[in-house]
Amino acid sequence: MRERRTARETERHQRVDDETSRPESRSALLDAVRGVKWPALRPVAGALPGAHHSRLRGAAPELSEYRVYRQGDDPKRIDWRLLARSDRAYIRLAEDRSTVSTVLIVDATASMAYPEGSLGKWRAACDVAIGLAAVAHTSRDPVGLVVVNGDGMRQMPPRTRRGIVGEIARALDDVAPRGSRSLAPAMGGIRSRVRVAIVSDFLGDADHVRRRAGEVAAAGGEVHAIHIVADEELDPPARSILAVDPEDASLMRPLVADSRAAYLERFAAWRTELSASWRAEGLSYTLARVSEPASRVVRRVAGAALGTGRAVAPDVRREIR
Amino acid sequence: MSFAAPLFAWVGGGLALGVVALHLLAWRRPPASPLPTARFAPDAPVRTVSRAMRPVDLGLLAVRVLVIVLVSTALAGPRFASRVQGLGRVIVVDRSHGPEAWAPIDRVARSVFRSGDALVVVDSTVHKVRNPTVDSIVATSPTTESGGISAALVVGIRAANELQRVRDSVEIVVVSPFGSDALDAATASIRRMWPGTVRTMRAGTPPNDTARARPPDIRAGSGDPVSAALALAGAAPRGAVRVVRDSTTAADTAWARNGGAVVVWPTSAAQRGWNVRATADTAFGVTVTSLGSGSSASPALSATVVAPFVRRLAPPPGRVVARWDDGEPAATEISLGAGCMRSVAVRVSAAGDLALTPAFRRFAEQIARPCVGSRGWAAATDSVVSAVLPATGARGAAQTFSAVDTTRSHSPIAVWLLGAAMVAALAELLVRRGAANATA
Repeated sequence: MRERRTARETERHQRVDDETSRPESRSALLDAVRGVKWPALRPVAGALPGAHHSRLRGAAPELSEYRVYRQGDDPKRIDWRLLARSDRAYIRLAEDRSTVSTVLIVDATASMAYPEGSLGKWRAACDVAIGLAAVAHTSRDPVGLVVVNGDGMRQMPPRTRRGIVGEIARALDDVAPRGSRSLAPAMGGIRSRVRVAIVSDFLGDADHVRRRAGEVAAAGGEVHAIHIVADEELDPPARSILAVDPEDASLMRPLVADSRAAYLERFAAWRTELSASWRAEGLSYTLARVSEPASRVVRRVAGAALGTGRAVAPDVRREIR
Repeated sequence: MSFAAPLFAWVGGGLALGVVALHLLAWRRPPASPLPTARFAPDAPVRTVSRAMRPVDLGLLAVRVLVIVLVSTALAGPRFASRVQGLGRVIVVDRSHGPEAWAPIDRVARSVFRSGDALVVVDSTVHKVRNPTVDSIVATSPTTESGGISAALVVGIRAANELQRVRDSVEIVVVSPFGSDALDAATASIRRMWPGTVRTMRAGTPPNDTARARPPDIRAGSGDPVSAALALAGAAPRGAVRVVRDSTTAADTAWARNGGAVVVWPTSAAQRGWNVRATADTAFGVTVTSLGSGSSASPALSATVVAPFVRRLAPPPGRVVARWDDGEPAATEISLGAGCMRSVAVRVSAAGDLALTPAFRRFAEQIARPCVGSRGWAAATDSVVSAVLPATGARGAAQTFSAVDTTRSHSPIAVWLLGAAMVAALAELLVRRGAANATA
């Protein structure tokens, strides 16, 4: 039974991985990420029972170890059978599983409204956010949302209720990417021991956001950076254009044949530096191209917890271990 | 319309085409397009060069081409005047030799002059006659004012340059008796300034080049040193000077009253009216200072003789024309009627060769000049005239125009064209600034 299910899961994963840059619908996205687990990077300290390893040891059904009874322990946890055999009092210890609040911070500034016609970056960011919300909600984790654009911030506190994923999708659909605003203040109200996923192009205050994310991680939280990059940014059109920054109209640079190579080199160097700086802080960093299916990005983000780049079901993870 | 230097017009046309070609290279701003990662493009000027099928900035192009066309046209020297075929002449009439010489001058000048020729009249001054006709020559009255061929050539060359604008070729015709005092050291140099033809037409009988120079009118004994010095110095003006080495007579006085110059240069101290010095002494130099006809063509010259002279006589009072080395008068002159009587107290010893030295010959020549204010003159020989005023210029008559075109004055239209070019250049500056603001 288990082998059959594993084969089915593997087949489905293979099908999803084979998907190319075809845009996938929301339902297809949710189908594709169904069964994907997004484990916490480290044991959590939550009280509510969930799917993540907890730092607490309790009375869960799954035995972890025995410990000699000490005064003050709950007598209900004494293993009477072992007491009868060994004439010593031991108590049963088990690994607790808990939930972790997940907050999705989505960048909706003007730089995400690119390319102009298709708004590919914004749609990709929304899809990735919805996919992550669905994965977290499947693990019974509370999921919240913060959307930042030029008009301000729109926040949805983490909730575990049914339909929260749909609410997040509708909230994202109601937002139009425009204006310019820093993402760092959006992390100000986040309490510690929370999982944060930042979906952005990081063309604003990247350094400020990274420092704030480091503070969250130092406080016991967990931060994932999903860097959305459009294909047109990686390979700009060959014709000569006067590139104008959507968030700063005064920033105009000619992008011609002579300067194209320098642009590509500097952009690649910046991406490398950005990735290295996030990882140096112990944070998760995932580069997501717009043409890449959102489900694939979600799997790579979820797989970052295992260091494999791919999220797998718990049974498969156990085999990997 | 023709051009004096068509090369400039061709060069200007080429430059204009170059400007049009440059305007096919558009220095424009590429189309703006949003790109969130624009910050990674190198910071460079927002305008780039691109080729265009049609010229850009038509207004600026028009102004620039206009500037080039105006400047090149101005440098090319446009000429709108229609040229009259044929030979033009500048007739230089010398009327400065008195009424006696005027008749042949008038006759020759009238025979040479044709309608359209320029007429330059010479007396003490030189001037060009406006709208000359044959009657202008008739109306010209002779004068005894001394003139010069050099000044006449300067005015004649200027008139010839003006005449060249409407004539194929131009020559200068000088009608004059060609007195020797009318030619000076500058005449030949001024003649060389005109590369074309200068035709000399003598009015009157030319002197005989081959005849021996007529000895001066000297009344002296044989072996007189002054006679020898004057004979070596050259012919004195005929009928103008008489040198008397003995006592003057009534005939000499009458001759002087008629305009002659009687030079009384006694050989001994026994002269009536002369002062005998109390003691004879010796002077070691004498200088003649202010003799001469006084004309601009023959200025007074000085001559000095350094030699021991025994002074026993002092000249009678009068205008001092020569002085000893200590400042005492050595020769004086008094006016007498239309002429003058000149007394020379310089005793020349018959012994020795002092009288044959070049210094004494020049001294004697200056002493034996006509009275100041008299108008005696001698015609220069044909050989002298042809040497000073050769018929053809340095480049020949056939090349007159090509040689003279470089020295002619430019047409006034060139100045106007250059002015218009400056205005257009300022307009180009404004148009360029406006275009830059529009594309920034």
